[in-house]
Amino acid sequence: MRSERYIPYVLILPSVLFLLFLFAWPLLEALLLSVRGSGGQWTLENFQRMAADLYFKDALKYTLLLTVVIVPLQVVMALGMAMLLGGISRGRDLFLYVWTIPLGISDLAAGIVWLAIFTERGYLNSFLQGIGVIQQPQLWLSYETPTMIFVAVVAAEVWRATAIVFVILVAGLQLIPKEYSEAAEVFGATPWQRFWKVTLPLLMPSLQVALILRTILALEVFAVVVALGGRNLPVLAGEAYYWYNAYQNPGVAAAYSVIILGISVVATMLYLRLMRSKREGAA
Amino acid sequence: MASIRVENIEKTFGKFKALNGVSLEVRDQEFVVLLGPSGCGKTTLLRIIAGLEQAEKGRVWIGDRDVTELPPRARKIAMVFQNYAVFPHLTVFENIAFGLRMQKATPEKLRANVERAATLMHIENLLERYPAQLSGGQRQRVAVARALAVEPEVLLMDEPLSNLDALLRLEMRAELKRLLAESRTTTLYVTHDQVEAMSLADRIAVMNTGYVVQYDEPMKVYQEPANTFVGGFIGSPPMNFLKVRVEGQQAQLQSLSLKIPTPAPGPEVLLGVRPEDLEAYLEPQPQSFTAEVLVVEPLGPHLLLTLRFGQQLLKATVPPDFRVRAGQTLWFKPQPDRLRWLDPGSGQALAAR
Ligand SMILES: Nc1ncnc2c1ncn2[C@@H]1O[C@H](COP(=O)(O)OP(=O)(O)OP(=O)(O)O)[C@@H](O)[C@H]1O
Ligand SMILES: [Mg+2]
Repeated sequence: MRSERYIPYVLILPSVLFLLFLFAWPLLEALLLSVRGSGGQWTLENFQRMAADLYFKDALKYTLLLTVVIVPLQVVMALGMAMLLGGISRGRDLFLYVWTIPLGISDLAAGIVWLAIFTERGYLNSFLQGIGVIQQPQLWLSYETPTMIFVAVVAAEVWRATAIVFVILVAGLQLIPKEYSEAAEVFGATPWQRFWKVTLPLLMPSLQVALILRTILALEVFAVVVALGGRNLPVLAGEAYYWYNAYQNPGVAAAYSVIILGISVVATMLYLRLMRSKREGAA
Repeated sequence: MASIRVENIEKTFGKFKALNGVSLEVRDQEFVVLLGPSGCGKTTLLRIIAGLEQAEKGRVWIGDRDVTELPPRARKIAMVFQNYAVFPHLTVFENIAFGLRMQKATPEKLRANVERAATLMHIENLLERYPAQLSGGQRQRVAVARALAVEPEVLLMDEPLSNLDALLRLEMRAELKRLLAESRTTTLYVTHDQVEAMSLADRIAVMNTGYVVQYDEPMKVYQEPANTFVGGFIGSPPMNFLKVRVEGQQAQLQSLSLKIPTPAPGPEVLLGVRPEDLEAYLEPQPQSFTAEVLVVEPLGPHLLLTLRFGQQLLKATVPPDFRVRAGQTLWFKPQPDRLRWLDPGSGQALAAR
C-alpha cells in the first residue's frame, strides 16, 4: 500500500532528471555566462558589447519584424484552412495529409528548398527567363536586397511552419461540440456570426497554444535565414551563433540567448493575459 | 402565426432507419407533445424540423412556407436542445440574449425579454454567471429561457425539464403551459414523461421505432390506445391485455360475457383494460371473473394488486381501505364502457368500438 504512493514519482523521475540535465542546467549556465566576465566576476560587459555591436540593432529589428509578419500570417492562413477542412466531408483526410506534409521537413531543408528557387540559377530565374520577362539572371538574395531576403524568409517560414498551427487548430476545432454552432444557427446566426461569436471564442485555448508556440519558434528563427541570406539578414539567434563560433565569445552569445529568452517570456505572458479564457472554472 | 407540418419524413443513419415516413401536423397555437421510448426518433424529428438534419425524403412546412430546403436560421424557430447547448463562453445573460442579439433587438427590449425569461425560469439571480458555475438543472433552465426570450412563433423543446427535481418540474410545467398559451406559441415538446405529456398536451403524438403510432388528444390516447404498445407505454401501471376466447360475438371470461363490437379476427381476442377500470369484490358476483392476489402494494391513494388470472398476470388498483391479502381470490368486473378490443396477432386495436 505504502509503496504505491511513490510509484508516480519514481515513474516521472527519469524525465525530470533528463529535463533538468538538458534544459534547466544549460539555461542556468547560459544565464550565468551572460553576466560573468572572463575572470568570473559579475558584469554587464557582455550585454554592453552586444548592444554596441553593429549587427545588434538590425538583428533585433529583423527578428521582431519577422515574428510580427510571420505569426499572424500563419495563424490566419491556418485558421482559414482549418475552417475549410471542417466544411468538407469527402476527401477530408487527403487534404489533411497534404497540408501537413511540411511538418516532416527540417527548417534547414526548407531554407535550401527556397534557396533553390531564389538563387541566381534557381527556378525563379529560369522561369522568368523562360517566359521572357528578364534577359539576365537576377540576383535576388544579396546584401543589396534585404527586402527580398526578408520576403523569401517569410515565404519559406510560412510554407514550412503553418502546418503546425494548422494541426493545433484542427485538433482544437474538433474538440468543440457541434451543438454550439447548431444552437447559434437555430437562433439566427449567419455563418460569419457563428464564426466570430461561437467558434472563435471557443477556439481560444488552441489559438493561445498555437500563438505561443509559433511566436517562440519565430523568435528563434535561424536555419532558414542562414540558408537564404547568411548574415545579410541578421537575426538574434544567428548572432548568438556567430559570436559563439566565429568570434569564440560565449559570453556575448549567451547575452543574445538571454535576450531571446526575455522576449519569449514577455510574449508568452502577454498571450496568457490577453487571451485569458473568460469562463471561470472548468467547463 | 404558424403551424408545423411534416410529410412522409424518412431518415436513415448509415443502415439504421431512424424515421419511417413520419407525418404530423401541429396546428397554429397548438401544444403537441411527442412521447415515446428512448431511441424512437423524437430528437431526430425535431432536428429535421429545425433544419439541423436533412431527411432523405419528405417535406417540412412552417406556416405556409415550405422550409425543407431552408437553413435553420431562415426557419424562424426557437429550440431547447436535449443537451442544452448553452454557450460556455457567455454569461447566463448573454446566453439568454443570444437570439435577440442576432435579431438586432433594441437594448430596452433585449433587457426586458431576458429578465422576463430569466424570472420565469427562476434564474434571475444567476445572470452574471458562466455556465460552468451552474448545476445541470440551472443550465437546462438557461436553455429554456434562451428559447423563450426570442418570443418565437414556433417553439421546439427537447425534454426541457428532464433534469429538474420533481417539485420544480411540476411548477415549471404549469408556468410553461400558462406562458405558451398566453403567447399563443405553436409548440412541439418532446418528453419521456407520460404524466408531463398528459398534463401539457393539446394532442399527444406517440412514437415508436421511427413511426408515429397514435396522434390524438391525451384522454383518447389514454383510453383508446391504438395498439398494445401505446396501451403499455402510457399509464402507470400499464394497461392490462387479457387473451380471451371468442364465442360468436361474445368474449367469454368465466361467468363474464362481453359483447365484441366488431367481428373478431380469430378464435381469440385481446381485451385491454386499465387497472383502475377493474372493480374488485370480496364475494362472488354475477358476470365476473376471479383472480388470485399475488402481491399487494400500498401506494398511498390506492392499493396496487398483482393478480393471476389463469396463466396470465394482471394489475388492478383498489381503494386504500380495501381489505385484501396476498393469496386471496377476488371477483372482478370491468367497466363495460372502458374496454378496448385488440387483435392478438398484430396488437392493433379492432376498428371502431
Ligand atoms: N448521428 C447519428 N448517427 C447514427 N445514428 C443516430 C444518429 N442520431 C440518432 N441516431 C439513432 O437514431 C435513433 C433515434 O435517435 P433520437 O436521438 O431521435 O432518439 P430519441 O427518441 O430522441 O431518444 P431519447 O429519448 O433517448 O433522446 C436512435 O436509435 C439513434 O441511435
Ligand atoms: Mg432525444
